[in-house]
Amino acid sequence: MAKRREDLLASLGRFSEPALCILISLADSPKHGYAMTLDIEAVSGQKLGPGTLYGAIARLEARKWIEPLPPEDRRRPYRLTTAGEKVLRHRLQSLQALARVGRARLAEA
Amino acid sequence: MIAQRLLPLFPRAWRERYGEEFLATVGHDSLRMQQVIDIVSGAIDAWFSTDVRHATASSPAEPSGGGPMTLKYLTACDRNQARYTKRDGLIGSGVMLVATSIFVVVGIAARRAGWSVTGDVLMSLAFPGSLTLSMPFWLMKGQPWRAQMVIVGGTLSLLIAIGYLATLI
Repeated sequence: MAKRREDLLASLGRFSEPALCILISLADSPKHGYAMTLDIEAVSGQKLGPGTLYGAIARLEARKWIEPLPPEDRRRPYRLTTAGEKVLRHRLQSLQALARVGRARLAEA
Repeated sequence: MIAQRLLPLFPRAWRERYGEEFLATVGHDSLRMQQVIDIVSGAIDAWFSTDVRHATASSPAEPSGGGPMTLKYLTACDRNQARYTKRDGLIGSGVMLVATSIFVVVGIAARRAGWSVTGDVLMSLAFPGSLTLSMPFWLMKGQPWRAQMVIVGGTLSLLIAIGYLATLI
């Protein structure tokens, strides 16, 4: 099942990395697009372009990994769903395992 | 504001669903060329991505799970699948082959008739022109016919213009 969830995230193609950043950004609280952009830039140093941001949001929404909340002014916040949280957890575990192997191999070299 | 001018590039359903928040998000920054390119590629993606169409097909007033039954059925059936079938792909390939042959044959005939520039342009269109002409049969299947006309017509016009310019160099 874990493998299946990772594959689902990878199935987003070039949007998989921006989608991961969005899921991480929404992990602590709901955010609208602009707040996500700022948060992702602060956390990863990567500034998502508006086209990429909304391409990833649409894909996450279509898969019901995030869901929109009622709009505040012109902005619509999004929150992580239970399914999205599971996908994020599995992806982070996988990345953690990968980082552990990488660090161990660097230490050996 | 550049973002407002770029917004019509997106499909109407996308604009209705994300337009307001998109402008609110972009509105804080002056757009750099990189962002403009990102928005244009986002617009192209919005036209062709099944996921984006699914997301924009649901009403913004319904946060989750509120779409009509047909949409739910289509979403369940169509997720992670290409919008075109193997048959569409074969038809598209057939159109490409026929169009390529026509471009080449007519191009050679034009050259022999002394219209070397027209012949060169037609020959240069053999691949990109036939690919563009085949798109409505597979890649753009299901898109509104107006969008298909604009994209195919616009691309062909651009290719012809580039072909003529190339002959002047």
